[in-house]
Amino acid sequence: MAKPPEVSHNGGGMIARRDLAVRVGARSDLSPTCFRLTLAAQEPLEASPGQFGMLSCGEGFDPLLRRAFSLAGVSRQGDTTEVELLIKEVGKGTALLRHLGLGSNLRLLAPLGNGFSLDGGTHRLALVAGGIGLPPVLFAAEVLAARGTGFDLYLGATSAAELLELKRCGRAASRAGGELVLTTDDGSRGEKGLVTAALGRRLSEGRVYSRVLACGPTPMLAALTLLARGQGLEAELSLEEPMACGVGVCLGCVVKLADGRYAPTCKDGPVFRTSDLAAGWWA
Amino acid sequence: MSIGLETKVGGLALANPIMAASGTYGYGLDLLEFCPPERLGAFVTKGLSPRPRVGNPIPRIVETAAGMINAIGLQNIGVEAFCRDALPVLRQRGAVVAVNVFGERMDEYVEVVERCEREDGIAAYELNVSCPNVTAGGIEFGHDPGQLKRLTAMCRTATHRQLWVKLSPNAPDLVETARAAVSGGADAITLINTLRAIAIDAEKRRPVLATGCGGLSGPAIKPIALRMVWEVHKALPAVPVVGIGGVESGRDVVEFLLAGASAVQVGTAIFREPGAPLRILSELERFCVEQGVAEVRELVGVLEWP
Repeated sequence: MAKPPEVSHNGGGMIARRDLAVRVGARSDLSPTCFRLTLAAQEPLEASPGQFGMLSCGEGFDPLLRRAFSLAGVSRQGDTTEVELLIKEVGKGTALLRHLGLGSNLRLLAPLGNGFSLDGGTHRLALVAGGIGLPPVLFAAEVLAARGTGFDLYLGATSAAELLELKRCGRAASRAGGELVLTTDDGSRGEKGLVTAALGRRLSEGRVYSRVLACGPTPMLAALTLLARGQGLEAELSLEEPMACGVGVCLGCVVKLADGRYAPTCKDGPVFRTSDLAAGWWA
Repeated sequence: MSIGLETKVGGLALANPIMAASGTYGYGLDLLEFCPPERLGAFVTKGLSPRPRVGNPIPRIVETAAGMINAIGLQNIGVEAFCRDALPVLRQRGAVVAVNVFGERMDEYVEVVERCEREDGIAAYELNVSCPNVTAGGIEFGHDPGQLKRLTAMCRTATHRQLWVKLSPNAPDLVETARAAVSGGADAITLINTLRAIAIDAEKRRPVLATGCGGLSGPAIKPIALRMVWEVHKALPAVPVVGIGGVESGRDVVEFLLAGASAVQVGTAIFREPGAPLRILSELERFCVEQGVAEVRELVGVLEWP
């Protein structure tokens, strides 16, 4: 990673950020804890996989801050932009979002941050998602599949019921000529155990990847960091930290880099190469 | 009806009373498409120290009811990088820049001011003597009137520019502290910095933030900020006050002006909405139109106390 400039000049060349007025267009349950939210905006929006948005959770001061969500997809339908989010209910903000009426008005600041590098390579890519880490990985999978870039898609969850969007994942993987590998902690579907272990097994059997793109809970990304370093494999991780602003001014969401600096996850990430992160960045 | 939005903070004339607060607006160039700095009355930089600071470990922030607690620890690029990389652009854009100054020792404050004195395009210094999130310096000066007077006087000697002191709401005697800053040569007082606060994780039986304590900001602290602005204004009516604490709307600005503030800083609201300062400015204008207020200056300190 080139050292980012110390003072932002508004991200010249980046896709324009907007504070969009959005309407809750549709919502559907994906699992006992997760749901899909489709937001409709009048303004156009372009985003790449791995970028995220800061979404308000309703009116008033409690919750005070917007919530950061990786975008699962962006499309233009006629003169409406549809933004797709996959959300897990974990607290006050996400509970409000789960119960807001259709048609409710929210604000979405997007697209934010840097996404995955989508270049192919001499070998396939490994796309790895754990639990609600799926949205940026699914977005990447669908874009890569449409481009004809090959990949295997690894999907891990606590149980079969929490494996999200299996049909879409299967379609994307088969279009990419790759394998869809499922794992669950309890063994209720796919291979029993951690998704990182499933990847590790295939690597030790001699499967070769150009790069890993991943998002999931921090322990999973920590395990992936160690695995990638052990194998000399390049991995790009989409990190999650609590964020206040999403645009690099509050410095609340930092992660420690290899050079010892704390970088805001929102602006310098959320996708980082493992080689740029401090050895034990998760600790 | 066109509203007179101009105000003055000490010797500094501002086109409008809305500023972006330190630590919420970067170095002035991060939110250009939502809130360009030249549209603000002024903006205050992230606290600058003589050399870059890496800041505190994470977690650094936590949301609370109508507020948030932060313990960033003054991570900043250092005064040199600011002068080299940001200031030329800010000058060219015509932004009114106030530099928030931090040091671990008194001479470090002076060092930052002296470095800035070599540059054009800085209107004011805001001494940060109230950051609750660093163990060395800062807060020690902010809580001890004698030390604060000495620090302010040292910086006063280094500059003819406007000198503001941002006071801690955690100080034992606020008015006494304000008096000390003024007798050291401060042109204005910024009130208030964050309130020392703790969020606790009940399951883990630990504080949420890595540092334990942090500083509370947001709408939750506005009533306290208003009370403190009013108390200092009443005790020291000749001293200009810059009000800050939970400003989210044009009405909030009016409340701070009534309590005695000559201008107002918008902070945490920017995290919720990067364009907040300009929305708030237009709401202030609308309020004045509706209330028949010709000039916002008329509102300063005219609170009718029961």
